[in-house]
Amino acid sequence: MEKGPKAMTRTLTYYPGCSSQASAVHLDKSLRAIMGPLGVALRDIDDWNCCGASVGHIEGGHLANSALSARNLANAQAAGPEDIITPCAACYLNTHYVNESIRGSESLKKDLNEALGAAGKSYDGSLHVRHICEMLVTDIGMGAVKAQVKKPLTGLKVAGYVGCQTVRPFANTERANKFDTYDDPTFLDDFTAACGAEVLPFKLRTHCCGGSVSVMSPDKGLHLIKELLDEVQKLGADVISTPCPLCQTNVEMYQPEINKRFGTNFNIPVVFYSQLMAVAFGLDPVKDAGLDQNIIKSDKLLKM
Amino acid sequence: MTISPTPKRAYDLNFARYVYENIDGGERLRMCMQCGACSGSCPIGKQMDHGPRKLFMMIRAGMKEAVLTSNTIWNCVSCYNCVVRCPRKVPITYILHDLAYLAVQEGYEPAKKADNARFAKAFWWSAAKYGRTDERLVTGKYYFSFGIGEGIKRGLGNQAIALNMIKTKRMHLGMPHAIKAKDELQKILAKAAEIQERHGKGA
Amino acid sequence: MEKKIGAYLCSGCGIGEALDVKALEGVVSKEFKKPVKSHECLCGEAGLAVIKADMEAGDVTLPVIGACSPRVMTDRFMLPGMTPIRANLREQVIWSHPAGDEDTQMMAEDNMRMMMTMATKVNQPVPFTEGEFSTTILVVGGGYAGLTAASEASKAGHDVLLVEKKAALGGNAAGYASIVPSKPPYHDPQPNPLPKLIEGVNATKSIRVITGATVAKTSGMPGKFEVELSDGSTHTVGAIILATGFRPYDATKLSHLGYGASPDIVTNVEMEAKLKAGKVTTKAGSSPKAVAFIQCAGSRDPNHLPYCSSVCCSVSLKQAIELTKADPETMVYVIYEEMRTPGTTEEFYRSAQEAGVIFMKGKATKVENGSGITVTVADELLQQDVPLGPLDMVVLATGMVPNSTDPDAPAQEYGAELLTADINPYPAEGDYKPEPSVPPGGPLLNLQYRQGPHLPMLADGFSDSHYICFPYETRRTGIYACGPVRRPMDMGEVHEDAMGAVLKSIQVIRNAAQGHAVHPRVGDLSYPKINLNACTKCRRCTVECPFGAIDENEKDYPVVNPTRCRRCGTCMGACPVRTISFDNYTVEMLSSMVKAVNIPDEDEEKPRILVIACENDAYPALDMAGIAKHQYSPFIRILPVRCLGSMSLLLISDALSSGYDGVILMGCKPGDDYQCHFVKGSAMAKERLSKISETLKSMQLEVERVTMVDASIADGARLPKVIDELVAKIDAVGPNPFKGF
Repeated sequence: MEKGPKAMTRTLTYYPGCSSQASAVHLDKSLRAIMGPLGVALRDIDDWNCCGASVGHIEGGHLANSALSARNLANAQAAGPEDIITPCAACYLNTHYVNESIRGSESLKKDLNEALGAAGKSYDGSLHVRHICEMLVTDIGMGAVKAQVKKPLTGLKVAGYVGCQTVRPFANTERANKFDTYDDPTFLDDFTAACGAEVLPFKLRTHCCGGSVSVMSPDKGLHLIKELLDEVQKLGADVISTPCPLCQTNVEMYQPEINKRFGTNFNIPVVFYSQLMAVAFGLDPVKDAGLDQNIIKSDKLLKM
Repeated sequence: MTISPTPKRAYDLNFARYVYENIDGGERLRMCMQCGACSGSCPIGKQMDHGPRKLFMMIRAGMKEAVLTSNTIWNCVSCYNCVVRCPRKVPITYILHDLAYLAVQEGYEPAKKADNARFAKAFWWSAAKYGRTDERLVTGKYYFSFGIGEGIKRGLGNQAIALNMIKTKRMHLGMPHAIKAKDELQKILAKAAEIQERHGKGA
Repeated sequence: MEKKIGAYLCSGCGIGEALDVKALEGVVSKEFKKPVKSHECLCGEAGLAVIKADMEAGDVTLPVIGACSPRVMTDRFMLPGMTPIRANLREQVIWSHPAGDEDTQMMAEDNMRMMMTMATKVNQPVPFTEGEFSTTILVVGGGYAGLTAASEASKAGHDVLLVEKKAALGGNAAGYASIVPSKPPYHDPQPNPLPKLIEGVNATKSIRVITGATVAKTSGMPGKFEVELSDGSTHTVGAIILATGFRPYDATKLSHLGYGASPDIVTNVEMEAKLKAGKVTTKAGSSPKAVAFIQCAGSRDPNHLPYCSSVCCSVSLKQAIELTKADPETMVYVIYEEMRTPGTTEEFYRSAQEAGVIFMKGKATKVENGSGITVTVADELLQQDVPLGPLDMVVLATGMVPNSTDPDAPAQEYGAELLTADINPYPAEGDYKPEPSVPPGGPLLNLQYRQGPHLPMLADGFSDSHYICFPYETRRTGIYACGPVRRPMDMGEVHEDAMGAVLKSIQVIRNAAQGHAVHPRVGDLSYPKINLNACTKCRRCTVECPFGAIDENEKDYPVVNPTRCRRCGTCMGACPVRTISFDNYTVEMLSSMVKAVNIPDEDEEKPRILVIACENDAYPALDMAGIAKHQYSPFIRILPVRCLGSMSLLLISDALSSGYDGVILMGCKPGDDYQCHFVKGSAMAKERLSKISETLKSMQLEVERVTMVDASIADGARLPKVIDELVAKIDAVGPNPFKGF
């Protein structure tokens, strides 16, 4: 059952993640803007900390890295039993994984609670950590999204780029409500379509941008991004839409460098699905959608 | 810190068992049937010394040094393609992650020099000290881990990107982002490190 | 009873539309002067009633039915009296040739002529039922296979004599700590079922166990075997089950894998003994912490055993699991080239993986014994040499050598010679041609047969069992090998195999007592009769019989042991003076059938080619061609034979001298991987045919006129093409100059 726009507002615990204060400010901004119309009130985890991303374990070790998530979980539980939702692929991966590991391993639960105990905290494994996209698919539904669309993005050609960790390795598991597949997810295109924009058949939607490896060692990862952009250009996309903070940054910020290295001429805007929704919901394109915070601006989207 | 029973041995018959018992997800490695779905799924496999399939066979063959000095563990982009495709449900990415930690702990030279290890150092510094990742500081610290000259060079090379990020208000210039209860987090992390040490576990 | 022939023609299934049935009737009535009737559906109740009425009236005792193939509607045409003779007008005429065609009609008429001729030549067979027939089953070998066979045979109501060479029952299996699982979930080793089995056998009154004895001599035939044991006792038995098992490959030949270099380098048999003893320790007395299994130790190796023993992989899995169970600290490596875990053993393999056993795909190239043992593995998956060590123990997974000979008995020159001569005597060209290898030792049953004291073997030394088509059969009727003497197998398979051998034994006991043949001519009452007055003592029949059914008496005359005989007629085909015949199958009959065909004059340009077709495979394949409506030349005339082995060369010269332009022989594949129902029949035909060129030369005919074709039952689509090609080839040679003589 899809909930109608008039459904009662419900509160969920929100874990914005570090990028919400930096490279993905516009994801955080646009999400907070669209949640109200969709009937969700966000309550931030108190004094949330970093999740460890893809590298924390290398220096910190497995248990200490897990302890980062454990503190967030403990703080979330202290505020209430509501599901935790997060917009960041890495935050979701780590927090969900640690949560599920605690639920599946008494010894890990014991160890982490011992660590939390050092600060007088505890966590019993009772929460459910979810990706916002999964929540949109499972709880809200496309009908409710469509119902909020005031300005359909008619004519905007969108290549939906899902990336990796939003769907892998959990999208098709019970605890992720099997919200989509690993290799051929459709949720992002559904978001695009709900906003009234044109969905392009972007085959490489789950190919990797190189993640943090592209950040630290561009030599290793830029060719991956170039392959994505080649395909997007071939499709004649106006914008790339993505749910992942790191994908957005990597694919956007490296375009000049890729042009330099490979002799290409990419200048393709990369936006978050939430920015598209904010515009389509008739919200302010700058104040709510944060379109001014994209390095490569989409004039077409700005004029909508 | 020495964390496996026989460090720095080229061949170690106990290495496989060590991995099975101490690496997160390592116990599933027993079930690897060498089909190669992981290596075939890897977007960056061509840039690896060995694909995951071969690396796992090396673990079984006791080729500890070759495993922990391979660039495979550093080049993983964490896309989890292999994890979802493995017919034997081996959590490959997780295993590679923890092998990287093991390589750092045992002090293998490539582990000291790997971009990923340097980046992780900077990252963990920020996460543990401030409770948050300050992308600006982490990147800077990472660049300067190569030395002052190289650090400046890398910084300048990415000046355009940094300027763009500042212009779009995606990089700030003030104090580092930080949590309020830094002490509390540090206590938790210290305790976790202590438990880790107590278990004598590598991961 | 006087034989009265009557012909019945069916016009159903399109026969009436495609052929002139009236003309066919004319062939019977005018040429053979026999009564003939037609019906539109002979196999229907009304049609059958026509035949039955004539038979009940005593007008007909032997019906000749011109209708569908003799391979179909056999139950419908099972009539009291003599077995009806069937002329195949449907599958091999109207379904494979154009309707209403002159040549098709000629083919149908010739078919009727051949079958009418056959009818005039056959007699009702008189079965061999002389004397007493024993129902006791002798089981030789008291291991798991023999014990299972004894137990199952007694359960089926037969008295059993179980003879074991050793002082105690049990055989190899007595040394097993546990066995590979045969029951779900196939995860853990199962307890050895042997002790219970021995208990059961010892408690069964109908099983007489004699230990410490071997078979000294065996003579006679199914239902009437006379067996003398080494203890001097003699016994009459109806059937014999050979369950002598296997011996492990001699590991002293494996010094290249370190055997002998250290007491900690052991075979899988030695490891099993350690497991059975309850504690595995090294020479130094400690529990081994690192153990490597080397698979295929001396197996699949041309210098040792060329074959796979099929169980060593699962046995190593079992031992590896037991080792990790006994001491979870133990690291176990299995070095394999191919892991062979058929069927549910795959689950067991998974179980070993779960236990942490490490599998390394590659070859062990070096085994060094220093401080600890190091095995160098040429690892296929890593593409490099891996020095695996230091290891506390190495286990060599050695294979099975069949006890198809008794290793403790001296080899008999006489028997061994016959045996190797018998292995793969006529290999098919370009086919698998293994070097014969016979395990050293003397004969097990010491058969007092003309063809030697051994049960025949295949090239690899395992007792021959017609393993491709009829794995429970052997070449010595009434003697059935089961268990690892027949092929390598695990205990689950041995159990089934033993039951199979028991069933075969029961079959032969029951059939022999009634004078019936056993497989594949089950129920055939005929058997070869030799007119000794004409016999030249050439011994071809006694040598060529695939089943060793014919012995020689003190005057060197052949003596047929009817219940050993499988009725293939190879003796008949071998006899140069045509003096061997069956009541219902003779050289003269076949020759008359060949000559019954009308041979058109040369200027009619209608060649005639005789196809002598094995009725087990080639003939049904031709039926299949018809069913699939594949068309082929109408110039061939098909003569079914029991086996190509029953074809005498005289038949070919008869055909050529009566004006046929060529002869095609269609039989089963010969060789070590034979498919001949009678094992050597097609090989014998091939052998005889190699001498046909002399005959042809003496007749001044071209060699191209006679060809032999391998045909399997699956060749329905291929044979029509082969026929057309050969017909064209023979046609190109030109008409046979003997036409019209």
